[in-house]
Amino acid sequence: MNSSSGAVTVQGLAKQFGALRAIDTVDFSIAQGEFFTLLGPSGCGKTTTLRCVAGLESADTGRIEIDGKPVFDSATGLDLPANERAIGMVFQSYAVWPHMNVAENIGYPLKVRGVAGTQIAARVEEVLKLLDMAGLGGRMPSQLSGGQQQRVALGRALAIEPRVLLLDEPLSNLDAKLRELMRAELKLIQRRAGLPILYVTHDQVEALSMSDRIAVMSAGRIHHLAAPEEIYDRPATRFVLDFVGAVNYLPCTVAGHEGGRMRLDVGGGTLEIAAPERLPAAADLTVAIRPEDLELAATGADDAPRARITLRGFVGEGFEYRLELGGQSLRARTEKTVVFEEGAEVVLTARRGVLVDAAAGLDSAVAAA
Amino acid sequence: MTTSPTAPFENPRAARVWRLFGDGRMVLMIALALFVFLTVLYPLFQVVWRSFIVEGSLSLANYEAVFLRASNFVAVWNSLWVSVIATAISVVIGTLGAFVVMRTDIPWKGALSLLFVLPFAIPPLFSAMGWVQLAGPVGLISQGWRAMFGPGPVPWNIYSATGIIFVLGVSNYPLVFLTVAGALQRVDPTLEEAARTAGVGTGRIMRDITLPLVKPAIYGGGLLAFVSSIDNFGIPAVLGMRAQFYVLTTRIYEALTVPNMPLATAMSVLLVGVALVAMVGFRRAEGGRSQYAVIGGKSTTPGIIKLGRAKPWVVAAIVLTILIVVVAPLFALVLTSFLRFWGAPLTWEFLTTRHYEAIFNTPAARRGILNSLLLAAGAATILVFTTALISWLNIKGRVRGAGTLDAIGLIPFALPGSVIGVAMILAWSNPPVGPALYGTIWILLLAYIMRYMAFGLQTSRATLTQIHDSLEEAAMASGASRMRTVRDITLPLLRPGLVAGWILIYISAFNELTVSVLIWTSGSETIGVWIFLMQDSGFTGRAAALAVLTLPVILILYLLMRWYARLEERRQKRQG
Ligand SMILES: Nc1ncnc2c1ncn2[C@@H]1O[C@H](COP(=O)(O)OP(=O)(O)O)[C@@H](O)[C@H]1O
Ligand SMILES: [Mg+2]
Repeated sequence: MNSSSGAVTVQGLAKQFGALRAIDTVDFSIAQGEFFTLLGPSGCGKTTTLRCVAGLESADTGRIEIDGKPVFDSATGLDLPANERAIGMVFQSYAVWPHMNVAENIGYPLKVRGVAGTQIAARVEEVLKLLDMAGLGGRMPSQLSGGQQQRVALGRALAIEPRVLLLDEPLSNLDAKLRELMRAELKLIQRRAGLPILYVTHDQVEALSMSDRIAVMSAGRIHHLAAPEEIYDRPATRFVLDFVGAVNYLPCTVAGHEGGRMRLDVGGGTLEIAAPERLPAAADLTVAIRPEDLELAATGADDAPRARITLRGFVGEGFEYRLELGGQSLRARTEKTVVFEEGAEVVLTARRGVLVDAAAGLDSAVAAA
Repeated sequence: MTTSPTAPFENPRAARVWRLFGDGRMVLMIALALFVFLTVLYPLFQVVWRSFIVEGSLSLANYEAVFLRASNFVAVWNSLWVSVIATAISVVIGTLGAFVVMRTDIPWKGALSLLFVLPFAIPPLFSAMGWVQLAGPVGLISQGWRAMFGPGPVPWNIYSATGIIFVLGVSNYPLVFLTVAGALQRVDPTLEEAARTAGVGTGRIMRDITLPLVKPAIYGGGLLAFVSSIDNFGIPAVLGMRAQFYVLTTRIYEALTVPNMPLATAMSVLLVGVALVAMVGFRRAEGGRSQYAVIGGKSTTPGIIKLGRAKPWVVAAIVLTILIVVVAPLFALVLTSFLRFWGAPLTWEFLTTRHYEAIFNTPAARRGILNSLLLAAGAATILVFTTALISWLNIKGRVRGAGTLDAIGLIPFALPGSVIGVAMILAWSNPPVGPALYGTIWILLLAYIMRYMAFGLQTSRATLTQIHDSLEEAAMASGASRMRTVRDITLPLLRPGLVAGWILIYISAFNELTVSVLIWTSGSETIGVWIFLMQDSGFTGRAAALAVLTLPVILILYLLMRWYARLEERRQKRQG
């Protein structure tokens, strides 16, 4: 194994279905042992990208390397079939073979590689233990719950210690509790095996919590490729800002600007955030503030905006508030210690905000102190 | 661990062809193309070509001869309208029956559904004979009627178009039943449950959700019933020829007994056109393949509807249908086989076993039984494998040209058996290369392969479209080659479908009469041919006796296969 080369390298990948551009020039590279996620809304081309890497779909143009070895190259006509790419794959529908029992399902990749029966049995035992399914090897898929079927699919993908693990929304058919559990488990399994993962999901929480790096996709293009914190705090485009996490938009004008800080008039008061490196030219601006970045207080500066609490919801680790400010509805998230009654008036300050140029889309993203 | 055959091609198209050869798809494709050419295309070509030949040169004289006789038109028209009405009857009985058996809580489900589809196993010729013996001029019902209402003619006539329509309808509904029941079993029950939770009642769910979902299957079954009606020979031969009511199959039979080969050939070609139009119409109505995608990669069990107070009535209706449609004609058949002569009073002195003795002393009858058994098994086995592979290349393998093979293989489906019979005679009496198979038993095997190829293609296609693509892709991703995937994943998943296809073809071929009656020769007679010849020449008792002897064979085979199919289903569901 060549550790200096990436686990997966995708260059200039494009694929059309008739007139539809499913993937429109996608580039990325996954490092050894990295958990890499393609995140985007349904229909943005995630599955198609994954299937091109798997060898189940042939791209029109581009180049794909797995573990430093080219597997697809439109320039030379190279296109290895899926069975020669040494991958592990988990399908959204699980695709657990209904005519084979659990052990046969998991052992199949070893069987087709000519591994001896006793060795297969040993490895299957090992995988079952890893998946917390010891003793269930004789069950048929129809006797398993959704979560168990999902784990069988995962076990089958892990059986051969693949060069890369490809996962297409593997948790989307599970209930919330199980999904959370499997999220952590998947991450642990990946760490233990030191396995690079290409993960596809439309669920931003899943992506943010599991990934080393995320590529946010829309309409067949990658909008932002970065670590989760960066994606969340400094989104590269308006689309990324919108798609990843909840956000409040407030129309505003610049009221003042000094010492790296700027004051914004949001109507009914001013909010202060860190000034971006390049000040927007347009006068009509929008500031985007995440719910957890809005601070609520009983008192504050005279020119701070004052909002009314319309709804309070308990969400376990804190409160989720709905506020009304000058006819607009805002969301805020606070810790448990910050308690306001519905109907109360609160003073708003922003911990962090991102200026959006109403005309030009997203202009800059700056974290405030 | 895998040596990768890097494609040494600059040209993407050349690379693609390399891949197709590399994983074996192209080799398979070429072999199957040859098979389809020999069994379908070449005989078809012979019919069309020869219809334009008169005394060695090109001519339209054969067609003129067809058009000049009005009786030939009448036969086409009769075939069409009789088949349409008979199909309507089949669709209604078959669909209702399938819903009741598959989706309600009626008791004795297994036994009732088994009896309900029994006409599928009974040759139509036997049904026609049974109904003549029930409702014919001196039949049991007619005798009963006279006993009650005094002597004179009864107010019905089984030797008529109405008689033909009725017997066709009740002979063919199992085709609809089997297709619809299969589809009902595979419908995702959550689609119905979603409607139920939305506050929709049972009847409404069936009408608004389930019925549209299985509509392709209803059309599919209807098409089977229609084609089966239009090419049936036994029923219109027994019930129509006596009344001078001719349909195409009986008209061609007559033309060949004269014999007027060119006329039969030209009529066959016209018939092909008529049948193709009907088939295209059905295909249209059936809709695209996306409508089939009801099953996913996850295993589910279908929902059942409680009948409540209506239950006894529904059970009574089913039992009554079975009594009238299945039991009555068979009972009449058995009775006739033991009667000294047809229409004899039902008293001890008129009972006899002499018809059975006559059969046991006839080598040709014994030979017929053996021929039928072997021919049906051979045709079914060959077809199940070849058609499954064609469907696979077409649907999953995505090989260009496989769609054409599939389309060609479906053509005989639209061809009335008489056309196939004529094609076989023309193709194998004096072929350009190879042996003249006409006059041997092999021509019957080839005829059955051509005739039932579409059955295999239809069942394997239906099953394949129900297998989610990801099940095969998962095997490829696991490291299995294309052909290995077919062996380990596709074929096992297809097996219930293959078994169903085998049954369908076996029983159809075993009961085949339309083609066999045209191409049999001494030594290659089948059961059906023999019984028909007996019935036709007035040996009603002997015909009935051989039919009665044949029935247990058919029924036992049929039960064995049903039992296997069920076993297979269960094995797949809960092995381990
Ligand atoms: N086999 C196909 N034929 C035609 N269009 C397809 C096919 N597969 C995907 N598409 C289209 O390509 C686009 C991207 O699909 P996909 O990659 O499945 O999106 P995602 O996985 O992000 O939801 C969608 O608009 C989809 O309809
Ligand atoms: Mg997808």
